Amino acid sequence: MERWALVSGLQGDLDLYEQIQKELKQQRGVANLFVLGDLIGSQRKCNALLERLRQPKRADLQPDCIYGWWEEQLLAECGYRGERKAEALRAEQGEAAVGELLAAVDADHLNWLASLQFGFIELDCALIHGSSADVGDRLTEDTSALVLLDRLTRLDVNRLFTARCRRQFRLELSGGSIQSHVKDHAGEQQSEQAVPKRSVIGIGGGRHYTLYDPATDHIEFRIAGGPSNASGRGFG
Amino acid sequence: MNHAVISCLHANLAAVEAVLDDIDSQGIQTTTCLGDLVGYGPQPNEVVELVRQREIPSCQGCWDEDIIDGLNACECSYPSQLAERRGHRAHHWTADLLTEENKAFLAELPMTLRRDKLLFVHGSPNSQHEYLLPDMNAFAALERVETAGAETLFCGHTHQPYVRELRQGSIRVKVQQRDQGAPTEQELELPMRRIVNAGSVGEPRHGSTKATYVIHNDDTGEVTIREVDYNVAKTCRAIVDAGLPEVFAWRLSHGFEYAERAEDASHVCER
Repeated sequence: MERWALVSGLQGDLDLYEQIQKELKQQRGVANLFVLGDLIGSQRKCNALLERLRQPKRADLQPDCIYGWWEEQLLAECGYRGERKAEALRAEQGEAAVGELLAAVDADHLNWLASLQFGFIELDCALIHGSSADVGDRLTEDTSALVLLDRLTRLDVNRLFTARCRRQFRLELSGGSIQSHVKDHAGEQQSEQAVPKRSVIGIGGGRHYTLYDPATDHIEFRIAGGPSNASGRGFG
Repeated sequence: MNHAVISCLHANLAAVEAVLDDIDSQGIQTTTCLGDLVGYGPQPNEVVELVRQREIPSCQGCWDEDIIDGLNACECSYPSQLAERRGHRAHHWTADLLTEENKAFLAELPMTLRRDKLLFVHGSPNSQHEYLLPDMNAFAALERVETAGAETLFCGHTHQPYVRELRQGSIRVKVQQRDQGAPTEQELELPMRRIVNAGSVGEPRHGSTKATYVIHNDDTGEVTIREVDYNVAKTCRAIVDAGLPEVFAWRLSHGFEYAERAEDASHVCER
């Protein structure tokens, strides 16, 4: 089966995107490129990257994009999210960052950004920017296992790939159980539920990206243009 | 000390009066309401005024919210389009009849009430529209209680009363990070938590026509599910006289278990 490349947090950096495209061409068997949000950001003009994503070059691995936290902020500020505005961005980085974000993306990209999906379900995997609860949900290897299991359960998937925290990790739920005792008008029932074997994978952000082989469940964490590329760590 | 928790009154005055009488007859001084004071039933103003007059602390239910904010639930909250149309008819009827004062009262109800480690909500801590059914995934159910920082979560919305104890839980995890060598393993011991669903006073769906509510003892933690007889026929007549969909009276008089429940009970409306 063909491998997937999982990228996020490009934030308008076309040079980085081209570097990743170049490296993916050198990889064997990478057939799908998923860009898990944060295509845009406030730090640079994002139009060139957006144009490239919307109209890839013939040699490019065709990108499948979803929206991320930055797109959510821009779309909210531009009236695509009802009465909500970019309050999270305002609270986190101040009013100036909102202005910079608006200036970083031309208005003719807004409808395309608004058409992007929240996430993809591929095979038994969810590919999402944040989590099944919210695009801004920051799942890490330190997040409570109970919360991670909930986020997996909401989508009924075995693997959840997340990008929001920009870290690279694989966390496997490897065992455990819980007892449930219910009393209602019909009587009492006792049951035990085992923890399903499921994983949450942080794919990284920016230069950090991930390769995944769904056939073998093998994960490889990589850094674009970095010296560690030659020894990208794989986890089977 | 005992306190009573009531939910889903649904403008059924006869049922609310019978339940409050039952609570009074046991000398219980504290009652908490989990919302849905209105909707489906024929006496929305009377029920809201009774709750106000008795100064019963209440959360805002999904019907209370929708009456104030406009229809907020999407069609998938109903099991069929027919049920949705009936629900919308009841919504408009209720919105037209409610006084501005009573609407203002509903508008100011909080989403949650908290007393020490007891949390009171209508649906779940996440949403007034989320159903916490007794067979919901046990880990997900525990997550709702634990993330909200409660030890016991009181909810309604399903119209089915139950007490669920989640205990002796654990989750083992194996973590591999990019820059680390061997993966690390750890085990999370989960705390014991409870979910208490108060059922419904005004529109029971637990297989009986009796109104339901719960009594909780703060000292022992004991929970009693109460069933109370009331004049069902009187409310049914009022529903028909008011011009509300007759099926509301029909299902009240039969106590049907699955009437008007969403097909996907875990669905959370985001419209």
